[in-house]
Amino acid sequence: MKLYKKYSFLILLSTFAFALQAQDKELPPEGGEPKNFQIPKPTTVELDNGMKLVMVDYGIVPKVQLQLIINAGAINEEEEEQGITSLLGNLLEEGTENYDGKSLSRAFAKMGGQLGVNGGLHNIGIGTTVLSEFGPQAIGLIAEVAQRPLLPESELDRLKNNYKRQLSVSRSQPQTIANQEFQKVIYGDHPYGRELPSDELIDSHTIDAIKQFFAEEVGAKRSTLYVVGKFNEKQIREAVEGQFSAWQAGKEKEYIPAEPNMNVDVELADRPNSPQATLRFGIPVPDPSHPDYVALEVMDDLLGGSFSSRITSNIREDKGYTYSPSSTITSNRYKSAIWYQAADVTIESTGDAMLEISREIDRIRSEAPTAEELDGIKNYMAGIFVLQNSTRGGIIGQLNQIDFHGLGEDYLNKRVQSIYDVSPEKIKEVAEKYLDPEKMFLMVVGDMKATEPQIEAWKKADKKFKKVVD
Amino acid sequence: MNSMKLKTWHLLVAGLFLVCASCQSSGEDPGGEDIKFEVPVDYYKLDNGLKVILSPNTVSPTVVVGIYYNIGFRIEPRDRTGFAHLFEHMMFQGSENLGKGEFISLVNKNGGNLNGSTRFDFTNYFEIVPSHKLETFLWAEADRMKGLAITQDNLTNQQGVVKNEVKVNVLNQPYGGFPWLDMPQYANENWYNAHNFYGDLEDLDAATLEDVQDFFAKYYTPSNAALSVVGDFNVEEAKQWIEKYFGNIPGREPEPMPDISEPKQTEEKRFNKPDPLAPRPALALAYHMPARNTPEYYAMGLLDQILLQGNDSKLYQQLVQEKGFSAGVGGGINYLGNMFNYNGPMIWMFNLTHDDAVSPDSIIAVVDEVIAELQSEEGLNQEHLDIAMVKNRSGLYDLVSQTFGLGLLDLLCSFALFDDDPQRVNQLDEEFKKVDLELLRKTAREYLVPANRTILTTVPAPATPES
Repeated sequence: MKLYKKYSFLILLSTFAFALQAQDKELPPEGGEPKNFQIPKPTTVELDNGMKLVMVDYGIVPKVQLQLIINAGAINEEEEEQGITSLLGNLLEEGTENYDGKSLSRAFAKMGGQLGVNGGLHNIGIGTTVLSEFGPQAIGLIAEVAQRPLLPESELDRLKNNYKRQLSVSRSQPQTIANQEFQKVIYGDHPYGRELPSDELIDSHTIDAIKQFFAEEVGAKRSTLYVVGKFNEKQIREAVEGQFSAWQAGKEKEYIPAEPNMNVDVELADRPNSPQATLRFGIPVPDPSHPDYVALEVMDDLLGGSFSSRITSNIREDKGYTYSPSSTITSNRYKSAIWYQAADVTIESTGDAMLEISREIDRIRSEAPTAEELDGIKNYMAGIFVLQNSTRGGIIGQLNQIDFHGLGEDYLNKRVQSIYDVSPEKIKEVAEKYLDPEKMFLMVVGDMKATEPQIEAWKKADKKFKKVVD
Repeated sequence: MNSMKLKTWHLLVAGLFLVCASCQSSGEDPGGEDIKFEVPVDYYKLDNGLKVILSPNTVSPTVVVGIYYNIGFRIEPRDRTGFAHLFEHMMFQGSENLGKGEFISLVNKNGGNLNGSTRFDFTNYFEIVPSHKLETFLWAEADRMKGLAITQDNLTNQQGVVKNEVKVNVLNQPYGGFPWLDMPQYANENWYNAHNFYGDLEDLDAATLEDVQDFFAKYYTPSNAALSVVGDFNVEEAKQWIEKYFGNIPGREPEPMPDISEPKQTEEKRFNKPDPLAPRPALALAYHMPARNTPEYYAMGLLDQILLQGNDSKLYQQLVQEKGFSAGVGGGINYLGNMFNYNGPMIWMFNLTHDDAVSPDSIIAVVDEVIAELQSEEGLNQEHLDIAMVKNRSGLYDLVSQTFGLGLLDLLCSFALFDDDPQRVNQLDEEFKKVDLELLRKTAREYLVPANRTILTTVPAPATPES
């Protein structure tokens, strides 16, 4: 009796335990119905001299962002002019006919903002974010900077010195070294492929050369002023018409497309005793105006471009080789794009990390993802699209990107649908078509004593691996 | 997760989420000096002690869900430097109903983003998701507040990830820990404020599953946390879900706080840390801050505007424009956040890189001149204060609208955890307005003095055995 009782009790207990185990875990609540998302609606005005004004009413904080984007930059520099745009950007902050450098800074500070000028690869940007009540006044100051800058020679040596110091710091960062070499191999002689300018080249630029570049390249016809935030539309419009109508039209924008090519498959740069290897592994792909581009973007997010992507799950969340791996398609080159995987991996795991990356690339080229995996990525991208259009800077970035690549006014409205239209088979198709590992370039920055034998081994193992799959 | 990245203290100028009573509709002339800085704040506590702050707005069909635990790296175990941050990673490794990787994929596949970060006085976890998924993520956060279900494999994996995080951000970078990670270790005396909070690699390796469970039991309790939702949602509905998912988590007393106070510094301190990866020398100066929420503390906020923030600031104009020592001088209060989201001793700091030909002392001499001018009767006038106030107001707007509402959520949770008063978010402007020229001078004379500061230089040289 006793025995029996005990026995049954045990049975009961184990059944209960089994039931608990077999029972499904609690599932997350689904949530409700999606709310409407209002895609920002720009109002565009074109002045007689060709300058465009694009206004978007957004948000509720009483601030307004003003960003004048002039489509001229380092891409327009001759080889011996390299660095001029950057110096010009810095000089533009140093005063106008009516304000010296310090009083210009103070004038922006009084509006709760700060002048930011950047001489970049494709654009010279002149911008600020100020308290809304000062919007029209800030337009007046931006107009001064763009049309009547001092470009004082007295500041040039100091700015050159700063530039050289900053470049020396850049050259000491493994990620910059990797990016530079990667661009150089792919873009060769095009401005996109240039190395950072040498100190001698920077020293050779005269104030006259910079002024000449400004006079030739900067003008209304290649410029757009974005105004995003809270503002009085009528006042902004009047201020822009009043301040910019007399600006010289200047040239149309002129971007020379690059012809990407590759004649090297692996390059190693030595960084003695480095605890990590900095990797860039990639290949040129079609640019954002190509019909396959959206499918490429979805493929990229699934493969390595999001936190729950395959490569991140593998080399970070499973193997622990790295902290912040990520694949990307560079979309900031004119009529050109590159897909690449980037990662900083523990130096001892360089070869193993590359093997896993190769494995994941091979897998996405061999079999279509499940609908469930793909749907997750599509939802993610649709959600990110809302976030991209939910900040002042994000809105400006999106509109400028559409303009840069000529994607058309309907792009934002069609964006979400075009993501959801991509099928699992299409993912496999674009991966197979564009991500050919045989044609990829690998850049490795790290201690070569450690990286070289591992990369040699990877190259061999990789080939074997492919045979198995074939 | 992407916590403690270098330079996270930079203000991200991002989304717009401040609810401002006088500027709701477009078209009319917004702005004006008398704008009331008003954010809706619905604050209450559950029976188990969980603090809840709700702040709805309708800017974008998204919500930010965030939980702040009152445990920062300051008070992590003494033999486990970096543990608070390593633990943060463990919160993504699995709970009762969500296995490893499932929390992250749940956020991503619902169209959202997530992260966590470890700071001086809190560890936070947040998701930015479409509004209609609010219930999903209240459930998910409650699930991991109930307990973790992780294995030795998960821990080993994240030890690898975190060590790689330290390598990519510090060990393989020029100026890697300079000055954000290094300076607190030199400027402070109390271990809690002065240890390597990213963690020595050996300490990270030494962590065990038992440490993880113990830490969770001590600090991850409802009464030691604040939950906030900011964005487009229905307050009553949210309250019901919060009661449903968090209400039944047992309340436990958290571990008592150790003494984190700093002794008053009486002499200037100076250190050099060689950096074999750095191409140029660099210099950082740090001054201990007045205690939080005192009149002097607000005055330091405005002195920071006058001295350091923006190209019109006095240090920028002297060090950069006049002397050409560097391209810029960066800094502020709390390099891993802002002047509001900490709760203990803090430093006001700035740093710059310079050329070999310039001695640190020649730069420090100019700094001292600028500060001496501020301390004098003539050196500081009403215009300085007015401009500082405008910059400050503009900066507060940016802060509350930062990162899709996360900036506001950060203030609400910090003020709930540290002051039991998230309404403070609406009183900040008033506190700054109380500062007058006399208080500015007094604060500069008392705090911006050599005896209250630490100087850290770094030079491009191999590390010596002593250092």
